[in-house]
Amino acid sequence: MPISAAEPLLWVAGLSAGYGKIGVLRDIDLTVGAGELVALLGPNGAGKTTLLRAVSGLLPCSGQVRFAGRNLAGAGPRETVRAGLVHVLEGHRVFTQLTACDNLLLAAYDLPRAERAARVEEALALFPEIAARRHDRAGAFSGGQQQMLAVAQGLVHRPRLLMLDEPSAGLSPMLVDRVFAVLGQLRKSGTAVLLVEQLIEKALALADRVYALARGAIVLQAATREVDLPHRLERAYFGLDHTGAQAESNERGNARPSGGVVSS
Amino acid sequence: MVESIVSYGLGIGCIYALIGVTYNVMFSASRVFSFTAGTLGMLGGVLGSLFIARLGMPVVVGFALTLAASALFGVLTEIVAVRPVLKSLEQHLYVLSTLALALMTQQFTAIEWSTEPQPFPRLFDIARGGFDQQFWLPMLACMVVVVGLELLYRYTLVGRAFLAISEDNYAARALGLPERALRTASYALAGVIGALAGFAGGEMLLAFFANAPMLTFYGFVPVALGGMGNNRGAVVAGLLLGLFQQAANFLVGGLFASVAVFTMFIIVLLARPEGLAGMAAERRV
Amino acid sequence: MMDMSTVRLQSTRAAAFGSASTIGAALPFLLLLTIGATLPLFAGGYWGLIATRACVYWVLVAGLNLVVGFAGQIAIGWVALLTLGAYTTSVLAAGNVMPPFPPYVALAIAAGVGAVFGVIIGLPALRLRTFYFAITTLGFATIVTQVALAWQSVTGGGVGVPGPILPEPFSSPWGFYYFCFALAAICTWMTANIAASRFGRALTAIRDAEVAAEACGIAKPALLVTVFLFSGALAAIAGGLFAVLQSYITPDAFTFDLSLLFFIAILIGGRGSVLGPLLGTILLTFLPEFAAPLVAWSTFLYAVLLLVIVLVVPGGIAEMLDFRNRRPLESNRAIIPRPDLLPRLLDANVNAGALTLEQVAVSFGGVRAIDGLDLAIQPRQVHGLIGPNGSGKTTVLNVISGYYAPLAGVAKLNGVALPVHAQHSRAQLRIARTFQTPRLIGAASVLHNVMIGGTIDGRGSFAESLLSLPRHRRDEAALHEQAMLALTTVGLEQLAPARVDRLPHSALRFVEIARALMLRPAFLLLDEPAAGLSAEEIRRLGALIVAVARQGAGVLLVEHHADLIFDICDHITVLNLGRILAAGTPTEIRSHREVVNAYLGG
Repeated sequence: MPISAAEPLLWVAGLSAGYGKIGVLRDIDLTVGAGELVALLGPNGAGKTTLLRAVSGLLPCSGQVRFAGRNLAGAGPRETVRAGLVHVLEGHRVFTQLTACDNLLLAAYDLPRAERAARVEEALALFPEIAARRHDRAGAFSGGQQQMLAVAQGLVHRPRLLMLDEPSAGLSPMLVDRVFAVLGQLRKSGTAVLLVEQLIEKALALADRVYALARGAIVLQAATREVDLPHRLERAYFGLDHTGAQAESNERGNARPSGGVVSS
Repeated sequence: MVESIVSYGLGIGCIYALIGVTYNVMFSASRVFSFTAGTLGMLGGVLGSLFIARLGMPVVVGFALTLAASALFGVLTEIVAVRPVLKSLEQHLYVLSTLALALMTQQFTAIEWSTEPQPFPRLFDIARGGFDQQFWLPMLACMVVVVGLELLYRYTLVGRAFLAISEDNYAARALGLPERALRTASYALAGVIGALAGFAGGEMLLAFFANAPMLTFYGFVPVALGGMGNNRGAVVAGLLLGLFQQAANFLVGGLFASVAVFTMFIIVLLARPEGLAGMAAERRV
Repeated sequence: MMDMSTVRLQSTRAAAFGSASTIGAALPFLLLLTIGATLPLFAGGYWGLIATRACVYWVLVAGLNLVVGFAGQIAIGWVALLTLGAYTTSVLAAGNVMPPFPPYVALAIAAGVGAVFGVIIGLPALRLRTFYFAITTLGFATIVTQVALAWQSVTGGGVGVPGPILPEPFSSPWGFYYFCFALAAICTWMTANIAASRFGRALTAIRDAEVAAEACGIAKPALLVTVFLFSGALAAIAGGLFAVLQSYITPDAFTFDLSLLFFIAILIGGRGSVLGPLLGTILLTFLPEFAAPLVAWSTFLYAVLLLVIVLVVPGGIAEMLDFRNRRPLESNRAIIPRPDLLPRLLDANVNAGALTLEQVAVSFGGVRAIDGLDLAIQPRQVHGLIGPNGSGKTTVLNVISGYYAPLAGVAKLNGVALPVHAQHSRAQLRIARTFQTPRLIGAASVLHNVMIGGTIDGRGSFAESLLSLPRHRRDEAALHEQAMLALTTVGLEQLAPARVDRLPHSALRFVEIARALMLRPAFLLLDEPAAGLSAEEIRRLGALIVAVARQGAGVLLVEHHADLIFDICDHITVLNLGRILAAGTPTEIRSHREVVNAYLGG
């Protein structure tokens, strides 16, 4: 199967997924390039969390998922993490019974012992407030600190692409800015980020490109510097301009690996 | 008399406590209570007697083999009776599958080993009497397990991984932890703990297939009273149970002692279904 | 009118299909009845004894089937009641303690004792979770045996007591066989009646969809106690018969293995069936006879059988014999509701007032899920409730449904406060609901599931259903007709006999709505009914909801689908972070700046 050099880091095509009998996502096409920060926006129930779970292997799905040139179809989270694709779950789920340091060490579970401590330090470097409390139980952390810890866990893996599910949820504005600042730093250092968010303005300020997901399908995709984006997003959310949005996304075309026939 | 109640009560109480811990270890890893906990205790005694008394192996070798075989049995339980039904939505199925496996093992033991209790070898060549080894061996085993688990959870990464999958299995998966292997390992560990209980208590309980249903019940009481997954609660409750049972034995006689234990168990459970130490779970609607 | 006659035709066809399937269902029983009745003609005395034992076991298993197979309670220690029944009958008939009773009287008294102890053993089921309850029944079984051993003055201890002897003509082996056979046949008939009654269906609801059962008004404690009473009585009678069969009973006749035999017979047979466990009991009683060299291994084999069933065919023999549900369903059949039938289905409601929440606050562990909430659902209106995840929509539903007690404020119906923590009272108040994830009984048919919605409308008692008295049959006919009407209204009448777990997700949503309509609701609470539906299905759903409201019900629609909300709601309340952000007509809400921001964040 011919792959051109321009293939994006993450390439998703025709992805459908759901929970048991309930179909949630229909035929999703999405890409994230190396070093890009892509925002995935959409109203509740649209399927954003489902999409991340399908990509990281937590949920079975149909369709194609390729990461760094490798086919990830049917792979579980363990394989995707090893490939460099890391998923930070929604709801700042850390292990409250363990210390922050233990939480990070667990992320380094598969690494040789000598390297673990180094990776933990690396991750903590971006979060001095967590580093100061590294021996406290994660259950004693505030929601915002737990969120930062969860992101730090993801960073221990040295991901090539970090997927975050609503990291701002339940956080005070100050902490949200803190988290977003870290994401900005990540982007600068070359880590690609796929960010699911409810806070449109802040996400748009940070992202290179944006997808809007509604009712299980991509209704809009654009670069963030384009004009009139917030207005178009609004319309896409409430489905008021469905055909218009569809035409736009068709115009731009969905990014596919150029050259050659797409076959498996 | 008091001395007898205390030594016997604590001894048997430690066995009950260890079976309770066995239940808890399996529960922590899979959110499932398995009927095989009592069977593991039985196997500890039967296999110990088989290897050491009948086949004449040295004590250390017989001990190691017993633990290894029981670890294997634990793994078998996970693969055959737990993993296939975890995916299913029908909650009651794991009760039945583990019950079936426990039953098969008990019956096999009854037929191939003996339907009568067989003697368990004396492990250390010390004269009987006083604070006899049949009493302090279970207590030693209990201490070793409790301390060992504490060390495991606090100082090894594997132990902390066990705690992680116990608390939030989904997050552990997402983090890339080998959650399935860890679960299987937990069941192997449970096998070892259960067998240790049966082996250390071999002289008290003898090598008898009917120990399995007895331990299934009496080993669960500490779990019910101490709270699901709570090992410290299980140990305390186990010791209290042992003492209570022995006291009742002396006061009202052996057969009615069981009635006493059971009645107490039912009353406590009905008053506090989550156990004395457990927290009431919120209902999800 | 054309429509009415079409519906009647559907109903008649369904009824004809129903009666054809009833004959089909009765056939195996009739076959067994014939074989059993004519047994002495072709079988020798030894097989007669085995058959007698099978009949005795079945008397117990028939009752236990309601507890385990229908109510789903893991009662593995039921042999305790067999022991009790055997000893009570024997001791009373032998006259150890008091002057000897006639055997039939002793049997009757044993039944009473069994009923009482059935309730005692079963009661923990109301409080304890599955595994815990299983363990307590185990403990009971051990206790009873130990008491039998210890109470020497009465039970003869380890030596035992002689069993009672029945008078002529039942004292001979074949005579006794016919006595047991007749009782077994009666028990089959009675439990089959219960299975096909609102009580049997309610039991399956408790087993598989407890929350939905509560919403339909099914009170678990009362029903379970009734079933334990009945099962206990049957088990004790079986015990008395067992004592006659053994002619001498000792405590070690009542082994744990026996208890497991009963339990496994039901599981092998399949839950929710009468024929399955019957075949299972016969199988397990006769199996050791054919596998003669393996007699010692019989319990081992039972356990293997149980494991195989659990892993491979959890539905047991009943599922294997369910040929009707093997036929492929027509895929992608469109679900086309018939809102025009609603006037027949729903009452022309004579209700006046609204369903209101006044300054309601609910907190979980110190966090306020909703606060200061004012909401009024008027009859004849569709009221939409929207908001981001975590805004408290489901909490509002659950307060109205009675699952959560408000920390402050009050929920009222027509000015009268709704009772808290009384989920099953809502059905009486004609408040019906659907659930975010459909809560249905997968192993049962669509019709069975919908009929559960009308459980509280039944007038007949448990005893009347047991004996299939006229009032029970009238109840059943009425429920059947109403359920078919409800299914036709939502457009699913063709799928009435199909098993629910074979249906696509969208069909399940409409089944839940049909079930809710059975209550002829004054208020209908819908929890994200459009999730997983196609655009066309959502449109039809919308039309149905509007029609339900125009018939007089007040509808509360919790939804994410903006299109559906804006299309059909008369009034919309927007929640955010547990408080009301905005309330008004769709036009007002759509242009409301803050609402847009809340959805879009920022």
